[in-house]
Amino acid sequence: MKRLKQLKQWTKGYGFIFLGAVVVLFSLQYFRTLTPLFIQHIIDYIFGDEASALPPFIRRIVAADTAPRALLLVALFSVFFTLFRVVLFFLHRVLTSNFAETVARNLRNKLYNKLQNLSFTYHSHAETGDLIQRTTTDVETYRVFIGDQVIEVLRLIFLISFAVWQMSMMMPLLTLISIAVAPIIFISAFVYFLYVKRVFKRVEEAEGSMTTALQENVTGIRVVKAFANETFEMKKFDERSTTYRDEEFNLIKLMALFWSATDALIFVQYCLTASFGIYFTIQGMMGPGQFIAFLAYVGMIVWPIRQLGRIIGDFGKTTVALDRIDEIMHQVDEHEQDTHYAPTIKGRIDFENVTFQFDDDEQPMLKDVSFSAQPGETVAIVGKTGSGKSTLINLMVRLLENQRGRILYDGIDILTINKKALRKQVGIILQEPFLYSKTVYDNIGIMDNEAPQDSVFKAASIARIHEDIQNFEAGYDTIVGERGVTLSGGQKQRVAIARMLLDDKPVLIFDDSLSAVDTETDIQIRRALSSYWKNTTVFIITHRIITAKAADKIIVLDEGKIVERGDHETLVKQGKLYAELWDIQSQVAQSFEESEVSDDADTL
Amino acid sequence: MQTPFDETTFTDVKFDASVWKKLFIMMRPLKRTIAIALLCGVMLAVVDVAYPLLNRYAIDTIIASGDLSLLPRFIAMYALYVVVLVGAVYTFILAAGKIQNQLAYIIRKRAFEKLQNLPFAYYDRTPAGWIMARLTSDSRQLSDILSWGLIDMTWGLLMMIGITVVMFVINVKLALITLSILPLLLIASIYFRKRILKAYRHIRKQNSKITGAFNEGIGGAKTTKTLVLEESNFKEFDRLTTSMRRHSIRAAMFAGLYFPTILFIASIATALVFYYGGIDVSTGVITIGVLYVFVSYVGQFFDPVMQMANILARFQEAQASAERIMALIEEDPDIKDTKEVLARYGTLENPKRENWELLKGDITFDDVTFKYSKGEQVLKNFSLDVKAGQSVALVGHTGAGKSTIVNLICRFYEPTTGQILIDGKPMKDRSIGWLHDKLGYVLQSPHLFSGTIMENIRYGNVHADDYACIEAAKLVKADDFIKRFEKGYDTEVGEGGARLSVGQKQLISFARALIADPRILILDEATSSVDTQTEKALQHAIETVMEGRTTFVIAHRLSTIVHADMILVLEDGEILERGSHETLIKNRGAYYRLYTNQFQHS
Repeated sequence: MKRLKQLKQWTKGYGFIFLGAVVVLFSLQYFRTLTPLFIQHIIDYIFGDEASALPPFIRRIVAADTAPRALLLVALFSVFFTLFRVVLFFLHRVLTSNFAETVARNLRNKLYNKLQNLSFTYHSHAETGDLIQRTTTDVETYRVFIGDQVIEVLRLIFLISFAVWQMSMMMPLLTLISIAVAPIIFISAFVYFLYVKRVFKRVEEAEGSMTTALQENVTGIRVVKAFANETFEMKKFDERSTTYRDEEFNLIKLMALFWSATDALIFVQYCLTASFGIYFTIQGMMGPGQFIAFLAYVGMIVWPIRQLGRIIGDFGKTTVALDRIDEIMHQVDEHEQDTHYAPTIKGRIDFENVTFQFDDDEQPMLKDVSFSAQPGETVAIVGKTGSGKSTLINLMVRLLENQRGRILYDGIDILTINKKALRKQVGIILQEPFLYSKTVYDNIGIMDNEAPQDSVFKAASIARIHEDIQNFEAGYDTIVGERGVTLSGGQKQRVAIARMLLDDKPVLIFDDSLSAVDTETDIQIRRALSSYWKNTTVFIITHRIITAKAADKIIVLDEGKIVERGDHETLVKQGKLYAELWDIQSQVAQSFEESEVSDDADTL
Repeated sequence: MQTPFDETTFTDVKFDASVWKKLFIMMRPLKRTIAIALLCGVMLAVVDVAYPLLNRYAIDTIIASGDLSLLPRFIAMYALYVVVLVGAVYTFILAAGKIQNQLAYIIRKRAFEKLQNLPFAYYDRTPAGWIMARLTSDSRQLSDILSWGLIDMTWGLLMMIGITVVMFVINVKLALITLSILPLLLIASIYFRKRILKAYRHIRKQNSKITGAFNEGIGGAKTTKTLVLEESNFKEFDRLTTSMRRHSIRAAMFAGLYFPTILFIASIATALVFYYGGIDVSTGVITIGVLYVFVSYVGQFFDPVMQMANILARFQEAQASAERIMALIEEDPDIKDTKEVLARYGTLENPKRENWELLKGDITFDDVTFKYSKGEQVLKNFSLDVKAGQSVALVGHTGAGKSTIVNLICRFYEPTTGQILIDGKPMKDRSIGWLHDKLGYVLQSPHLFSGTIMENIRYGNVHADDYACIEAAKLVKADDFIKRFEKGYDTEVGEGGARLSVGQKQLISFARALIADPRILILDEATSSVDTQTEKALQHAIETVMEGRTTFVIAHRLSTIVHADMILVLEDGEILERGSHETLIKNRGAYYRLYTNQFQHS
């Protein structure tokens, strides 16, 4: 019951198209089982003296006084009859594809929307490959299920039932004989396809392992070549390719067995029907036309019943796919219960005793963090990997939530501010930014498609990427992202910065987003920023102490706690963690200064 | 934007027999299996043609005569029929499956071995996805059509011929009448098949766009949130799915016309048989059995016609795959060893290590200029002399030529003019294998292979034992964190090393370089993205691996640069300055400016 509900949930609202398709299908199969009756009519009724098995309304149409006239009428009628079936068939296709494709589109759209609205934490843990699989293969499995398989199952059931019914109208005894083997065929097919799924899985795994070897080889070709491991790689690939081949051949052997064995069963059924049919005909219990019709009806039972077993044995795939899709759909949408309050933010931020813990962690990531920042201030956040820096800034745009304590913008509690409104005003640049597969120009202007060219160029200039772009072959029209030109890490980060600079933001957060940019450019960008955007509150996470040095305020985090705060001079004097970091990084710098001193001494 | 690597562009290629001929040559080892499969195809065709004749015997001989004593004979004939059929079907699937399966394997093997022999430049200009598709989907498609496709075609053709012959033998007039619809059947089939394939191709294209959008939606989810792009992204996505829906329905409707059309054409033939055959039955010219045989044959005729139209269309479709695969297999490596070098040093697969001289590590660039096949000059009149054991730090902006120098030393590329000498002898006089055997490479973003940590360290020297691997790990101080894993050195690193942190991956790649015990070490330093503590560990690792080796470092860490024996400051493919740290500071030139900038008035 739960399964049925699960299957139906996506077809809601389109049931009437489906119903229409089923009605057309039903009549289509009925008409199909009439076709063997034409030859029966000719042989038994026109030539012989037996009754015609055609339904009365057709018998009336093709009734004639002479044999040639009767033949002509049957021939003509059979053509028109086919034409009628053809029209029905086409109508059926239109209805079915409309149904399946509409449902598939809605499913894709809902999935896409859901994925976009899933929480930041969900995406941090998600495996992209797996999600892609669900959105493509699993959706396709479902589409095939509702569009092809369900319809096909209905078609086969209708066809088999009508065939049995038509046969039983002619001779119940031979009918029973004619369906004797059918259950065995059905069960064989059903069991086989249940079993073979496991073999299929093994083949897929072997193929996957081979593809991984190939992919790692191609993407790591530098390493392969530099260590001269080409022959090693050939051996590795060949082993996996061989395993895949052998597993697949196992499957082929099973297939050969199945198809030939069921073919045997099918022809045993034919032979049974033919032998008894001959006997009954000679005994005068039926006409030769009926004998021929019976042979045709057996064909409408044995082949379809094998197909039916196959499809039903395969159904498991769909429920697995649906479970996997549902798993996504049942996740919490982060915007679902959001507030509508959208105040204009000026840039004052207060953290009041904020503590945050991930659900599956034992320790809080942030412990009792309090600080405030005034509009226009620059705050540097320093600390080891895992000290809670990213958690802190993710809380500032509600990418993470459910903290204890309060975060306030201009005195307004962050939890009362609409997420989208908040994120539009508080710009955050991630360390590993994502560029969309569009032109560089569109990537920079992504938040405002109508932004004038001047502001796009200006943003690019501040982010020190304008010149790089102009040196590209296609300039601003260069396609970037996964399906475009590969930019260096630093270029990516700079494009990501540029797209944030399209309009004034009261708050701007850099999550170590200058890490791949060289120090010189880093400084240039920050200088340009501070001269254009005087009133913006800026937060910078950085490993470069030199960057922190320039900030108005420095916050040092260690194991989720603020262990030091103040400006550079104060913190260096304190001689704690910050001073230690400063020491390590300035050693090298000192070597410069020393050589400068000696240099000066020389010239003196 | 169209590139030669765009999967979705199918130019309507003309059928080119030469490509297929090459593929047939590849199938030569499968000759016997092919013969068996074809034989089975013949048998199946015979069986199919014979079936209505078996029933005709029942109708015309047994039923007509009313002689029940003939029934056992009929059953015996049927039994024989089933045995032949089952045997033929079983062998047929096995043989055709074997051909498909083995041919795909052969193609993959040939292509992969070629890939290992292609120079680095090939990978530079060919997207990884493109290469992957050749060895996976293309090899599958080709082996599929060359096995099942060809054999099915043989079966279909023979069956049609068989039916035709039998019909003419039984009754010429009815045969002619029935066959009169054949041209119509063929024309309709080919017309529809081509267009249906085209329509589905279009859908596949659309589908790959949707997959791409999902990819972007998932990969970029975090960024989308920070930029609040949810609505505009969805609008774009909806446009894609709506267009997909429209195209799919249109294709389904078109495909939905195909079968009914064939059915309708066949019904005309059936009607003709009904009428003319019926009249002949009534005048006693033919028997009921003959009428039955003809009606059956009309039904049996359109299956092979539809099949063959399908296979022909697919062959045309597969033409592109065939060309791409053959292009890969026949790709001529533009960097390869000369015959003389191969004779002395051996090939990649069969190296003659006994002839390999020791590599000391002196490297000389003698007036080297390099430019990409089409593109600007990236290195200009570059000369450099490095003694064995020296370290060279390469400094400069992106595009200054740092990676080019490294690529030339690795012989991933060859100089356009000028030459590179190793231990005083031109690089080209020794084999690529010889050079790479003594080369170590640590990448900026370390590439690990899925497998255990131990296997990844051993990658540097596949003959090293566990003890040596652990020693190497200890030397770079990777041992500490590795031992902390539950499974220690047997910890799986995941695809691409995904289960390790960046710093951990880097340390493992240092251990890997160390176990290779190279004479020449290339180090592409990562820009700082790790915290200061990890940084320290890496610093130590770098110093350890550099010791006693000729080292080229694309340097980002000041300490690495400061300690280098020689610093090269590059700009636009030329050496701006060279010398030790002290000298360059004294010079107060580009180097001084570049690095003092960081520490003043920021």
